[in-house]
Amino acid sequence: MSHQHRHNQPSLLETKDLSKRNLQSWLLSAPSLIWLTAFFSIPYLIILIYSLLTPDIYEVKFLFSLNAYRDIFSGLYFKPFYLSMRLAMITTMLCLLLGYPVAYLIARSSEKWKNILLILIIIPFWTNFIIRIFSWRIFLSTHGVMNEVLMALNLISSPIEIIRTDLAVIIVMVYVYLPYMILPLYSVIEKLDFTLLDAATDLGASNRQAFFKVTLPLSREGIFAGSILVFIPALGAYLIPQLVGNQNALYIGQIITYRIKNIPRNWPVASALSLVMLIIIAMILLTGYYIYQKRRIRKLHENR
Amino acid sequence: MKTGKIYQKLNLTIFTLVMVFLYIPIIILIIFSFNNSKIVAGWKGFTFKYYLLLFQNAQIKTAFQHTLIIAVTSTLASTVLGVLCALGLENKRFSGRKMMSALIYIPLIMPDILMGVSLALLFNFLRVQTGMVTVFIAHVTFCLSYTVIVIQSRLAGFDYSLVEAAMDLGAKPWLIFWKVKFPLMLPGIIAGALLAFTLSIDDFVITFFTSGRGFDTLPIYVEGAIRRGTITTINALSTLMIGFTLFLVVVTKRIRKLLLT
Repeated sequence: MSHQHRHNQPSLLETKDLSKRNLQSWLLSAPSLIWLTAFFSIPYLIILIYSLLTPDIYEVKFLFSLNAYRDIFSGLYFKPFYLSMRLAMITTMLCLLLGYPVAYLIARSSEKWKNILLILIIIPFWTNFIIRIFSWRIFLSTHGVMNEVLMALNLISSPIEIIRTDLAVIIVMVYVYLPYMILPLYSVIEKLDFTLLDAATDLGASNRQAFFKVTLPLSREGIFAGSILVFIPALGAYLIPQLVGNQNALYIGQIITYRIKNIPRNWPVASALSLVMLIIIAMILLTGYYIYQKRRIRKLHENR
Repeated sequence: MKTGKIYQKLNLTIFTLVMVFLYIPIIILIIFSFNNSKIVAGWKGFTFKYYLLLFQNAQIKTAFQHTLIIAVTSTLASTVLGVLCALGLENKRFSGRKMMSALIYIPLIMPDILMGVSLALLFNFLRVQTGMVTVFIAHVTFCLSYTVIVIQSRLAGFDYSLVEAAMDLGAKPWLIFWKVKFPLMLPGIIAGALLAFTLSIDDFVITFFTSGRGFDTLPIYVEGAIRRGTITTINALSTLMIGFTLFLVVVTKRIRKLLLT
Protein backbone atom coordinates (compact mmCIF):
# COMPACT_ATOMS: atom_id res chain seq x y z
CA MET A 1 0.00 0.00 0.00
CA SER A 2 2.71 2.45 1.01
CA HIS A 3 4.69 1.41 -2.03
CA GLN A 4 1.83 2.39 -4.30
CA HIS A 5 1.30 5.62 -2.39
CA ARG A 6 4.86 6.74 -2.92
CA HIS A 7 4.53 6.25 -6.65
CA ASN A 8 1.38 8.33 -6.80
CA GLN A 9 3.37 11.41 -5.89
CA PRO A 10 6.67 11.06 -7.70
CA SER A 11 9.55 13.43 -7.12
CA LEU A 12 10.59 15.92 -9.79
CA LEU A 13 13.37 13.69 -11.04
CA GLU A 14 11.03 10.73 -11.25
CA THR A 15 8.44 12.76 -13.16
CA LYS A 16 11.03 13.65 -15.77
CA ASP A 17 12.11 10.06 -16.05
CA LEU A 18 8.50 8.88 -16.24
CA SER A 19 7.55 11.24 -19.06
CA LYS A 20 10.65 10.19 -20.96
CA ARG A 21 9.70 6.55 -20.55
CA ASN A 22 6.15 7.38 -21.58
CA LEU A 23 7.34 9.01 -24.78
CA GLN A 24 9.55 6.01 -25.44
CA SER A 25 6.52 3.71 -25.04
CA TRP A 26 4.51 5.79 -27.50
CA LEU A 27 7.31 5.66 -30.06
CA LEU A 28 7.75 1.90 -29.66
CA SER A 29 4.06 1.13 -30.07
CA ALA A 30 3.48 3.75 -32.79
CA PRO A 31 4.12 1.41 -35.76
CA SER A 32 1.59 -1.13 -34.45
CA LEU A 33 -0.84 1.63 -33.55
CA ILE A 34 -0.66 3.07 -37.05
CA TRP A 35 -0.88 -0.35 -38.70
CA LEU A 36 -3.92 -1.47 -36.71
CA THR A 37 -5.65 1.88 -37.09
CA ALA A 38 -5.16 1.83 -40.85
CA PHE A 39 -5.97 -1.83 -41.45
CA PHE A 40 -8.21 -2.81 -38.56
CA SER A 41 -10.15 0.25 -37.33
CA ILE A 42 -10.55 2.39 -40.43
CA PRO A 43 -11.86 -0.54 -42.55
CA TYR A 44 -14.91 -0.65 -40.25
CA LEU A 45 -15.51 2.99 -41.11
CA ILE A 46 -15.42 1.99 -44.78
CA ILE A 47 -18.00 -0.72 -44.02
CA LEU A 48 -20.23 1.97 -42.52
CA ILE A 49 -19.81 4.18 -45.59
CA TYR A 50 -20.45 1.33 -48.05
CA SER A 51 -23.60 0.29 -46.18
CA LEU A 52 -25.06 3.71 -47.11
CA LEU A 53 -24.33 3.49 -50.85
CA THR A 54 -26.22 2.19 -53.88
CA PRO A 55 -25.44 -1.36 -55.06
CA ASP A 56 -24.14 -2.07 -58.55
CA ILE A 57 -23.58 -5.38 -60.36
CA TYR A 58 -19.83 -5.36 -59.74
CA GLU A 59 -19.03 -2.63 -57.24
CA VAL A 60 -20.96 0.29 -55.75
CA LYS A 61 -22.30 3.62 -56.99
CA PHE A 62 -21.32 6.49 -54.76
CA LEU A 63 -24.93 7.55 -54.24
CA PHE A 64 -26.49 7.75 -50.81
CA SER A 65 -29.15 5.12 -50.16
CA LEU A 66 -30.80 3.52 -47.14
CA ASN A 67 -32.02 0.52 -49.11
CA ALA A 68 -29.59 -1.89 -47.47
CA TYR A 69 -31.05 -1.10 -44.05
CA ARG A 70 -34.58 -1.25 -45.42
CA ASP A 71 -33.79 -4.75 -46.71
CA ILE A 72 -32.41 -5.83 -43.37
CA PHE A 73 -35.27 -4.52 -41.30
CA SER A 74 -37.82 -6.04 -43.66
CA GLY A 75 -36.92 -9.35 -42.01
CA LEU A 76 -35.31 -10.84 -45.11
CA TYR A 77 -32.15 -11.70 -43.19
CA PHE A 78 -33.75 -12.64 -39.91
CA LYS A 79 -33.46 -16.39 -40.46
CA PRO A 80 -29.73 -16.51 -41.31
CA PHE A 81 -29.01 -14.44 -38.19
CA TYR A 82 -31.17 -16.75 -36.11
CA LEU A 83 -29.40 -19.83 -37.55
CA SER A 84 -25.95 -18.36 -36.85
CA MET A 85 -26.86 -17.40 -33.28
CA ARG A 86 -28.29 -20.86 -32.69
CA LEU A 87 -25.21 -22.52 -34.17
CA ALA A 88 -22.86 -20.38 -32.05
CA MET A 89 -24.84 -21.20 -28.90
CA ILE A 90 -25.02 -24.96 -29.51
CA THR A 91 -21.33 -25.05 -30.44
CA THR A 92 -20.36 -23.17 -27.28
CA MET A 93 -22.49 -25.42 -25.05
CA LEU A 94 -21.13 -28.64 -26.57
CA CYS A 95 -17.53 -27.39 -26.43
CA LEU A 96 -18.05 -26.59 -22.75
CA LEU A 97 -19.63 -29.97 -21.95
CA LEU A 98 -16.90 -31.90 -23.74
CA GLY A 99 -14.05 -29.52 -22.96
CA TYR A 100 -14.51 -29.26 -19.21
CA PRO A 101 -13.87 -32.93 -18.34
CA VAL A 102 -10.89 -32.95 -20.70
CA ALA A 103 -9.38 -29.76 -19.24
CA TYR A 104 -10.02 -31.08 -15.72
CA LEU A 105 -8.34 -34.38 -16.44
CA ILE A 106 -5.30 -32.71 -17.99
CA ALA A 107 -5.01 -30.20 -15.15
CA ARG A 108 -4.99 -32.99 -12.57
CA SER A 109 -2.47 -35.23 -14.35
CA SER A 110 1.19 -35.47 -13.44
CA GLU A 111 3.60 -32.88 -14.87
CA LYS A 112 4.91 -35.24 -17.53
CA TRP A 113 1.46 -36.30 -18.74
CA LYS A 114 0.23 -32.72 -18.72
CA ASN A 115 2.68 -31.75 -21.46
CA ILE A 116 1.96 -34.82 -23.56
CA LEU A 117 -1.81 -34.39 -23.33
CA LEU A 118 -1.64 -30.67 -24.08
CA ILE A 119 0.38 -31.35 -27.22
CA LEU A 120 -2.15 -34.00 -28.25
CA ILE A 121 -4.89 -31.36 -27.95
CA ILE A 122 -2.89 -28.75 -29.84
CA ILE A 123 -1.69 -30.83 -32.83
CA PRO A 124 -5.10 -31.00 -34.58
CA PHE A 125 -5.43 -27.30 -33.82
CA TRP A 126 -2.23 -26.63 -35.74
CA THR A 127 -3.32 -28.76 -38.66
CA ASN A 128 -4.61 -26.73 -41.55
CA PHE A 129 -8.16 -25.48 -40.98
CA ILE A 130 -9.47 -26.32 -44.43
CA ILE A 131 -7.91 -29.76 -44.36
CA ARG A 132 -9.62 -30.58 -41.09
CA ILE A 133 -12.98 -29.66 -42.58
CA PHE A 134 -12.17 -31.66 -45.69
CA SER A 135 -11.30 -34.73 -43.66
CA TRP A 136 -14.74 -34.57 -42.02
CA ARG A 137 -16.31 -34.51 -45.44
CA ILE A 138 -14.52 -37.76 -46.25
CA PHE A 139 -15.63 -39.23 -42.96
CA LEU A 140 -19.27 -38.15 -42.97
CA SER A 141 -20.26 -38.20 -46.64
CA THR A 142 -22.96 -40.58 -47.87
CA HIS A 143 -20.46 -43.07 -49.24
CA GLY A 144 -17.84 -42.02 -46.74
CA VAL A 145 -15.86 -43.96 -44.22
CA MET A 146 -18.39 -43.82 -41.39
CA ASN A 147 -21.26 -45.14 -43.48
CA GLU A 148 -19.12 -47.84 -45.11
CA VAL A 149 -17.94 -49.10 -41.74
CA LEU A 150 -21.39 -49.01 -40.16
CA MET A 151 -22.85 -50.86 -43.14
CA ALA A 152 -20.08 -53.44 -43.20
CA LEU A 153 -20.81 -54.11 -39.55
CA ASN A 154 -24.51 -54.45 -40.42
CA LEU A 155 -25.40 -51.76 -37.94
CA ILE A 156 -27.33 -49.81 -40.58
CA SER A 157 -28.92 -50.99 -43.81
CA SER A 158 -28.67 -47.73 -45.78
CA PRO A 159 -26.26 -44.77 -45.41
CA ILE A 160 -27.11 -42.11 -42.82
CA GLU A 161 -27.36 -38.69 -44.42
CA ILE A 162 -25.30 -36.47 -42.18
CA ILE A 163 -23.33 -34.48 -44.73
CA ARG A 164 -25.12 -31.30 -45.83
CA THR A 165 -27.20 -31.08 -42.65
CA ASP A 166 -27.05 -28.79 -39.62
CA LEU A 167 -25.80 -31.76 -37.61
CA ALA A 168 -22.71 -32.01 -39.82
CA VAL A 169 -22.07 -28.29 -39.31
CA ILE A 170 -22.34 -28.67 -35.53
CA ILE A 171 -20.00 -31.69 -35.45
CA VAL A 172 -17.30 -29.91 -37.45
CA MET A 173 -17.74 -26.63 -35.56
CA VAL A 174 -17.25 -28.41 -32.21
CA TYR A 175 -14.25 -30.18 -33.68
CA VAL A 176 -12.61 -26.96 -34.84
CA TYR A 177 -13.41 -24.81 -31.79
CA LEU A 178 -12.90 -27.36 -28.97
CA PRO A 179 -9.24 -26.42 -28.30
CA TYR A 180 -10.26 -22.76 -27.90
CA MET A 181 -12.44 -23.92 -24.99
CA ILE A 182 -10.08 -26.48 -23.49
CA LEU A 183 -6.99 -24.25 -23.24
CA PRO A 184 -8.48 -21.35 -21.18
CA LEU A 185 -10.37 -23.85 -19.00
CA TYR A 186 -7.17 -25.78 -18.44
CA SER A 187 -5.18 -22.70 -17.43
CA VAL A 188 -7.80 -21.75 -14.82
CA ILE A 189 -8.40 -25.26 -13.44
CA GLU A 190 -4.67 -25.84 -13.21
CA LYS A 191 -4.30 -22.91 -10.81
CA LEU A 192 -7.23 -24.09 -8.68
CA ASP A 193 -6.50 -24.79 -5.05
CA PHE A 194 -7.57 -28.42 -4.83
CA THR A 195 -7.22 -28.46 -1.03
CA LEU A 196 -10.51 -26.53 -0.98
CA LEU A 197 -12.12 -29.49 -2.70
CA ASP A 198 -10.68 -31.88 -0.12
CA ALA A 199 -11.91 -29.59 2.63
CA ALA A 200 -15.42 -29.64 1.19
CA THR A 201 -15.53 -33.44 0.98
CA ASP A 202 -13.99 -33.76 4.44
CA LEU A 203 -16.81 -31.61 5.76
CA GLY A 204 -19.30 -34.05 4.32
CA ALA A 205 -20.08 -32.62 0.88
CA SER A 206 -20.71 -35.24 -1.78
CA ASN A 207 -18.48 -35.21 -4.83
CA ARG A 208 -21.24 -33.68 -6.87
CA GLN A 209 -21.87 -30.96 -4.29
CA ALA A 210 -18.15 -30.24 -4.09
CA PHE A 211 -17.99 -29.92 -7.85
CA PHE A 212 -20.98 -27.59 -8.20
CA LYS A 213 -20.24 -25.49 -5.10
CA VAL A 214 -16.45 -25.30 -5.27
CA THR A 215 -14.81 -26.34 -8.53
CA LEU A 216 -17.30 -24.90 -10.98
CA PRO A 217 -17.60 -21.42 -9.38
CA LEU A 218 -13.83 -21.18 -9.07
CA SER A 219 -13.32 -21.98 -12.74
CA ARG A 220 -15.88 -19.42 -13.85
CA GLU A 221 -13.30 -17.16 -15.47
CA GLY A 222 -12.06 -19.96 -17.71
CA ILE A 223 -15.61 -20.85 -18.70
CA PHE A 224 -16.22 -17.21 -19.54
CA ALA A 225 -13.03 -16.76 -21.60
CA GLY A 226 -13.51 -20.06 -23.43
CA SER A 227 -17.14 -19.29 -24.24
CA ILE A 228 -16.24 -15.92 -25.74
CA LEU A 229 -13.39 -17.44 -27.76
CA VAL A 230 -15.82 -19.98 -29.22
CA PHE A 231 -19.07 -18.04 -29.49
CA ILE A 232 -17.89 -14.94 -31.32
CA PRO A 233 -15.86 -16.57 -34.10
CA ALA A 234 -18.63 -19.18 -34.45
CA LEU A 235 -21.11 -16.41 -35.11
CA GLY A 236 -19.27 -15.51 -38.30
CA ALA A 237 -18.74 -19.08 -39.50
CA TYR A 238 -18.52 -19.28 -43.28
CA LEU A 239 -16.33 -22.10 -44.52
CA ILE A 240 -17.72 -24.93 -42.38
CA PRO A 241 -21.40 -24.37 -43.35
CA GLN A 242 -20.21 -23.86 -46.92
CA LEU A 243 -18.38 -27.19 -47.12
CA VAL A 244 -20.53 -29.50 -45.01
CA GLY A 245 -23.81 -27.65 -44.41
CA ASN A 246 -27.26 -27.59 -45.93
CA GLN A 247 -27.20 -25.15 -48.84
CA ASN A 248 -30.92 -24.40 -48.55
CA ALA A 249 -30.66 -22.79 -45.14
CA LEU A 250 -27.74 -20.38 -45.25
CA TYR A 251 -25.90 -18.91 -42.28
CA ILE A 252 -25.16 -15.21 -42.07
CA GLY A 253 -21.47 -15.69 -42.90
CA GLN A 254 -22.45 -17.34 -46.17
CA ILE A 255 -24.94 -14.60 -47.04
CA ILE A 256 -22.33 -11.88 -46.45
CA THR A 257 -19.78 -13.74 -48.59
CA TYR A 258 -22.27 -14.29 -51.41
CA ARG A 259 -23.22 -10.60 -51.47
CA ILE A 260 -19.54 -9.65 -51.65
CA LYS A 261 -18.37 -12.28 -54.14
CA ASN A 262 -21.27 -13.48 -56.29
CA ILE A 263 -22.54 -11.45 -59.23
CA PRO A 264 -24.85 -9.50 -59.04
CA ARG A 265 -23.06 -8.21 -56.00
CA ASN A 266 -24.64 -6.19 -53.26
CA TRP A 267 -21.92 -4.63 -51.17
CA PRO A 268 -24.19 -2.23 -49.25
CA VAL A 269 -26.26 -5.14 -47.92
CA ALA A 270 -23.10 -7.14 -47.09
CA SER A 271 -21.76 -4.09 -45.25
CA ALA A 272 -24.98 -3.49 -43.33
CA LEU A 273 -25.12 -7.18 -42.33
CA SER A 274 -21.49 -7.02 -41.19
CA LEU A 275 -22.30 -3.96 -39.09
CA VAL A 276 -25.24 -5.72 -37.44
CA MET A 277 -22.95 -8.63 -36.62
CA LEU A 278 -20.37 -6.21 -35.24
CA ILE A 279 -23.01 -4.57 -33.02
CA ILE A 280 -24.15 -7.96 -31.68
CA ILE A 281 -20.52 -8.84 -30.87
CA ALA A 282 -19.91 -5.48 -29.23
CA MET A 283 -23.00 -5.94 -27.06
CA ILE A 284 -21.87 -9.41 -25.97
CA LEU A 285 -18.38 -8.15 -25.14
CA LEU A 286 -19.62 -5.11 -23.25
CA THR A 287 -22.05 -7.21 -21.20
CA GLY A 288 -19.26 -9.64 -20.42
CA TYR A 289 -16.91 -6.82 -19.45
CA TYR A 290 -19.59 -5.23 -17.25
CA ILE A 291 -20.27 -8.49 -15.39
CA TYR A 292 -16.54 -9.09 -14.99
CA GLN A 293 -15.92 -5.61 -13.57
CA LYS A 294 -18.85 -5.90 -11.20
CA ARG A 295 -17.54 -9.20 -9.90
CA ARG A 296 -14.09 -7.75 -9.46
CA ILE A 297 -15.40 -4.78 -7.49
CA ARG A 298 -17.46 -7.13 -5.33
CA LYS A 299 -14.41 -9.28 -4.73
CA LEU A 300 -12.38 -6.23 -3.69
CA HIS A 301 -15.07 -5.29 -1.18
CA GLU A 302 -15.18 -8.83 0.17
CA ASN A 303 -11.42 -8.92 0.57
CA ARG A 304 -11.52 -5.69 2.53
CA MET B 1 -15.64 -42.56 -2.51
CA LYS B 2 -17.63 -44.78 -4.84
CA THR B 3 -19.28 -41.86 -6.63
CA GLY B 4 -15.82 -40.35 -7.01
CA LYS B 5 -14.71 -43.39 -8.95
CA ILE B 6 -17.74 -43.11 -11.21
CA TYR B 7 -16.96 -39.47 -11.95
CA GLN B 8 -13.36 -40.36 -12.67
CA LYS B 9 -14.48 -43.06 -15.07
CA LEU B 10 -16.89 -40.67 -16.75
CA ASN B 11 -14.13 -38.10 -17.12
CA LEU B 12 -11.82 -40.67 -18.62
CA THR B 13 -14.51 -41.88 -21.01
CA ILE B 14 -15.23 -38.36 -22.25
CA PHE B 15 -11.51 -37.71 -22.55
CA THR B 16 -10.98 -40.83 -24.65
CA LEU B 17 -13.97 -40.00 -26.84
CA VAL B 18 -12.67 -36.47 -27.40
CA MET B 19 -9.25 -37.80 -28.37
CA VAL B 20 -10.81 -40.23 -30.84
CA PHE B 21 -12.97 -37.40 -32.14
CA LEU B 22 -9.91 -35.16 -32.61
CA TYR B 23 -7.81 -37.73 -34.42
CA ILE B 24 -10.15 -39.92 -36.44
CA PRO B 25 -10.61 -37.55 -39.40
CA ILE B 26 -6.90 -36.82 -39.64
CA ILE B 27 -5.94 -40.49 -39.53
CA ILE B 28 -8.50 -41.39 -42.17
CA LEU B 29 -7.23 -38.62 -44.39
CA ILE B 30 -3.67 -39.89 -44.13
CA ILE B 31 -4.70 -43.48 -44.86
CA PHE B 32 -6.77 -42.49 -47.87
CA SER B 33 -3.96 -40.44 -49.38
CA PHE B 34 -2.42 -43.83 -50.26
CA ASN B 35 -5.67 -45.23 -51.67
CA ASN B 36 -5.52 -46.24 -55.32
CA SER B 37 -8.96 -44.88 -56.22
CA LYS B 38 -10.38 -41.82 -57.95
CA ILE B 39 -13.15 -41.43 -55.39
CA VAL B 40 -12.70 -41.42 -51.66
CA ALA B 41 -14.93 -44.36 -50.73
CA GLY B 42 -13.59 -47.89 -50.43
CA TRP B 43 -10.05 -49.20 -50.23
CA LYS B 44 -8.61 -50.09 -53.64
CA GLY B 45 -5.02 -50.83 -52.72
CA PHE B 46 -1.88 -48.95 -51.79
CA THR B 47 -0.30 -46.34 -54.07
CA PHE B 48 2.13 -43.42 -54.08
CA LYS B 49 0.63 -42.19 -57.35
CA TYR B 50 -1.05 -39.11 -55.91
CA TYR B 51 2.12 -37.92 -54.25
CA LEU B 52 3.86 -38.08 -57.60
CA LEU B 53 0.98 -36.29 -59.32
CA LEU B 54 1.24 -33.64 -56.65
CA PHE B 55 4.79 -32.73 -57.59
CA GLN B 56 3.88 -32.46 -61.25
CA ASN B 57 1.03 -30.06 -60.63
CA ALA B 58 2.16 -26.54 -61.61
CA GLN B 59 -0.80 -24.85 -59.91
CA ILE B 60 0.04 -26.46 -56.59
CA LYS B 61 3.64 -25.41 -57.01
CA THR B 62 2.78 -21.73 -57.51
CA ALA B 63 0.21 -21.84 -54.71
CA PHE B 64 2.87 -23.31 -52.46
CA GLN B 65 5.34 -20.59 -53.42
CA HIS B 66 2.75 -17.88 -52.79
CA THR B 67 1.94 -19.37 -49.39
CA LEU B 68 5.60 -19.41 -48.40
CA ILE B 69 6.31 -15.87 -49.62
CA ILE B 70 3.32 -14.49 -47.73
CA ALA B 71 4.05 -16.53 -44.60
CA VAL B 72 7.72 -15.51 -44.43
CA THR B 73 7.20 -11.80 -45.14
CA SER B 74 4.15 -11.38 -42.91
CA THR B 75 5.85 -13.30 -40.10
CA LEU B 76 8.88 -11.02 -40.32
CA ALA B 77 6.82 -7.83 -40.39
CA SER B 78 4.42 -8.83 -37.63
CA THR B 79 7.28 -10.04 -35.43
CA VAL B 80 9.24 -6.79 -35.77
CA LEU B 81 6.13 -4.71 -35.07
CA GLY B 82 5.24 -7.09 -32.24
CA VAL B 83 8.64 -6.82 -30.53
CA LEU B 84 8.52 -3.02 -30.61
CA CYS B 85 4.95 -2.89 -29.35
CA ALA B 86 5.58 -5.41 -26.57
CA LEU B 87 8.58 -3.33 -25.42
CA GLY B 88 6.39 -0.25 -25.39
CA LEU B 89 3.68 -1.99 -23.39
CA GLU B 90 6.23 -3.20 -20.87
CA ASN B 91 6.03 0.21 -19.20
CA LYS B 92 3.13 -0.16 -16.75
CA ARG B 93 2.62 3.63 -16.60
CA PHE B 94 2.41 4.12 -20.35
CA SER B 95 -0.51 6.51 -20.87
CA GLY B 96 -1.66 4.74 -24.05
CA ARG B 97 -1.48 1.29 -22.50
CA LYS B 98 -5.22 0.69 -22.15
CA MET B 99 -6.00 1.85 -25.67
CA MET B 100 -3.18 -0.18 -27.21
CA SER B 101 -4.24 -3.31 -25.30
CA ALA B 102 -7.80 -2.95 -26.57
CA LEU B 103 -6.55 -2.43 -30.13
CA ILE B 104 -4.47 -5.60 -29.85
CA TYR B 105 -6.99 -7.87 -28.12
CA ILE B 106 -10.09 -7.00 -30.14
CA PRO B 107 -8.82 -8.32 -33.53
CA LEU B 108 -8.15 -11.66 -31.79
CA ILE B 109 -11.81 -12.47 -31.29
CA MET B 110 -13.30 -10.78 -34.34
CA PRO B 111 -14.76 -13.37 -36.74
CA ASP B 112 -12.47 -13.77 -39.76
CA ILE B 113 -15.26 -12.83 -42.08
CA LEU B 114 -15.55 -9.32 -40.63
CA MET B 115 -11.83 -8.68 -41.04
CA GLY B 116 -11.99 -10.09 -44.56
CA VAL B 117 -14.96 -7.99 -45.65
CA SER B 118 -13.64 -4.80 -44.08
CA LEU B 119 -10.24 -5.15 -45.76
CA ALA B 120 -11.80 -6.07 -49.11
CA LEU B 121 -13.88 -2.89 -49.01
CA LEU B 122 -10.92 -0.79 -47.86
CA PHE B 123 -8.85 -1.96 -50.83
CA ASN B 124 -11.77 -1.31 -53.15
CA PHE B 125 -12.28 2.16 -51.68
CA LEU B 126 -8.60 2.99 -52.15
CA ARG B 127 -8.64 1.47 -55.66
CA VAL B 128 -5.78 -0.86 -54.76
CA GLN B 129 -5.34 -3.85 -57.04
CA THR B 130 -5.80 -7.00 -54.92
CA GLY B 131 -2.96 -9.52 -55.01
CA MET B 132 0.22 -10.28 -53.17
CA VAL B 133 0.51 -6.92 -51.42
CA THR B 134 -3.06 -6.87 -50.14
CA VAL B 135 -2.76 -10.44 -48.85
CA PHE B 136 0.50 -9.48 -47.12
CA ILE B 137 -1.19 -6.50 -45.43
CA ALA B 138 -4.12 -8.65 -44.30
CA HIS B 139 -1.86 -11.36 -42.88
CA VAL B 140 0.29 -8.90 -40.94
CA THR B 141 -2.91 -7.41 -39.51
CA PHE B 142 -4.22 -10.66 -38.07
CA CYS B 143 -0.80 -11.99 -37.00
CA LEU B 144 0.22 -8.81 -35.19
CA SER B 145 -2.07 -9.33 -32.17
CA TYR B 146 -0.70 -12.81 -31.62
CA THR B 147 2.96 -11.83 -31.84
CA VAL B 148 2.48 -8.89 -29.45
CA ILE B 149 0.66 -11.05 -26.89
CA VAL B 150 3.12 -13.96 -27.02
CA ILE B 151 6.19 -11.70 -26.77
CA GLN B 152 4.56 -9.56 -24.08
CA SER B 153 3.72 -12.59 -21.94
CA ARG B 154 7.39 -13.58 -22.00
CA LEU B 155 8.44 -10.07 -21.03
CA ALA B 156 6.09 -10.21 -18.05
CA GLY B 157 8.12 -13.01 -16.47
CA PHE B 158 11.38 -11.22 -17.15
CA ASP B 159 14.40 -11.37 -14.88
CA TYR B 160 15.48 -7.74 -14.55
CA SER B 161 18.41 -8.45 -12.26
CA LEU B 162 20.60 -9.12 -15.30
CA VAL B 163 19.66 -5.82 -16.93
CA GLU B 164 20.27 -4.00 -13.66
CA ALA B 165 23.62 -5.73 -13.30
CA ALA B 166 24.62 -4.60 -16.79
CA MET B 167 23.53 -1.04 -15.95
CA ASP B 168 25.48 -1.08 -12.71
CA LEU B 169 28.53 -2.16 -14.63
CA GLY B 170 28.12 0.95 -16.78
CA ALA B 171 26.95 -0.60 -20.05
CA LYS B 172 25.30 1.71 -22.61
CA PRO B 173 21.51 1.27 -23.07
CA TRP B 174 21.85 -0.03 -26.63
CA LEU B 175 24.51 -2.47 -25.61
CA ILE B 176 22.32 -3.66 -22.74
CA PHE B 177 19.47 -4.21 -25.13
CA TRP B 178 21.40 -6.23 -27.71
CA LYS B 179 23.70 -8.13 -25.36
CA VAL B 180 21.39 -8.81 -22.43
CA LYS B 181 17.74 -8.12 -23.05
CA PHE B 182 17.35 -9.33 -26.61
CA PRO B 183 18.88 -12.77 -26.00
CA LEU B 184 16.56 -13.18 -23.01
CA MET B 185 13.58 -12.17 -25.16
CA LEU B 186 14.53 -14.50 -27.99
CA PRO B 187 12.49 -17.59 -26.96
CA GLY B 188 9.37 -15.41 -26.80
CA ILE B 189 10.14 -13.82 -30.16
CA ILE B 190 10.63 -17.22 -31.79
CA ALA B 191 7.43 -18.57 -30.27
CA GLY B 192 5.52 -15.52 -31.56
CA ALA B 193 7.07 -15.81 -35.02
CA LEU B 194 6.23 -19.51 -35.31
CA LEU B 195 2.66 -18.84 -34.28
CA ALA B 196 2.39 -16.08 -36.89
CA PHE B 197 3.85 -18.42 -39.51
CA THR B 198 1.34 -21.20 -38.84
CA LEU B 199 -1.56 -18.74 -38.72
CA SER B 200 -0.48 -17.35 -42.07
CA ILE B 201 -0.23 -20.69 -43.87
CA ASP B 202 -3.52 -21.75 -42.28
CA ASP B 203 -5.70 -18.81 -43.24
CA PHE B 204 -8.44 -19.20 -45.77
CA VAL B 205 -11.25 -16.72 -45.12
CA ILE B 206 -9.28 -13.47 -44.91
CA THR B 207 -7.08 -14.44 -47.86
CA PHE B 208 -10.21 -15.34 -49.84
CA PHE B 209 -11.45 -11.75 -49.46
CA THR B 210 -8.15 -9.98 -50.05
CA SER B 211 -6.49 -11.99 -52.83
CA GLY B 212 -7.31 -11.15 -56.37
CA ARG B 213 -7.77 -13.58 -59.18
CA GLY B 214 -4.48 -15.28 -60.01
CA PHE B 215 -3.03 -15.08 -56.53
CA ASP B 216 -3.88 -18.39 -54.89
CA THR B 217 -2.36 -19.61 -51.65
CA LEU B 218 -2.54 -23.30 -50.76
CA PRO B 219 -5.76 -23.08 -48.70
CA ILE B 220 -7.41 -21.14 -51.53
CA TYR B 221 -6.28 -23.76 -54.04
CA VAL B 222 -7.50 -26.59 -51.79
CA GLU B 223 -10.93 -24.99 -51.41
CA GLY B 224 -11.22 -24.59 -55.16
CA ALA B 225 -10.19 -28.20 -55.73
CA ILE B 226 -12.77 -29.41 -53.23
CA ARG B 227 -15.43 -27.34 -54.99
CA ARG B 228 -14.43 -28.66 -58.41
CA GLY B 229 -14.30 -32.21 -57.04
CA THR B 230 -10.69 -32.86 -58.05
CA ILE B 231 -9.89 -34.07 -54.60
CA THR B 232 -7.66 -37.11 -54.92
CA THR B 233 -4.39 -35.18 -54.83
CA ILE B 234 -5.79 -33.10 -51.98
CA ASN B 235 -5.51 -36.09 -49.64
CA ALA B 236 -1.82 -36.40 -50.47
CA LEU B 237 -1.31 -32.64 -50.20
CA SER B 238 -3.09 -32.58 -46.84
CA THR B 239 -0.97 -35.40 -45.50
CA LEU B 240 2.19 -33.52 -46.45
CA MET B 241 0.85 -30.37 -44.79
CA ILE B 242 0.05 -32.30 -41.60
CA GLY B 243 3.57 -33.69 -41.68
CA PHE B 244 4.93 -30.18 -42.07
CA THR B 245 2.91 -29.01 -39.05
CA LEU B 246 4.27 -31.85 -36.92
CA PHE B 247 7.74 -30.92 -38.09
CA LEU B 248 7.16 -27.32 -36.97
CA VAL B 249 5.93 -28.48 -33.55
CA VAL B 250 9.07 -30.57 -33.06
CA VAL B 251 11.32 -27.73 -34.25
CA THR B 252 9.63 -25.32 -31.82
CA LYS B 253 10.23 -27.70 -28.94
CA ARG B 254 13.85 -28.19 -29.91
CA ILE B 255 14.58 -24.48 -30.30
CA ARG B 256 12.94 -23.73 -26.99
CA LYS B 257 15.01 -26.39 -25.27
CA LEU B 258 18.22 -25.17 -26.90
CA LEU B 259 17.56 -21.57 -25.93
CA LEU B 260 16.50 -22.32 -22.39
CA THR B 261 19.51 -24.46 -21.53
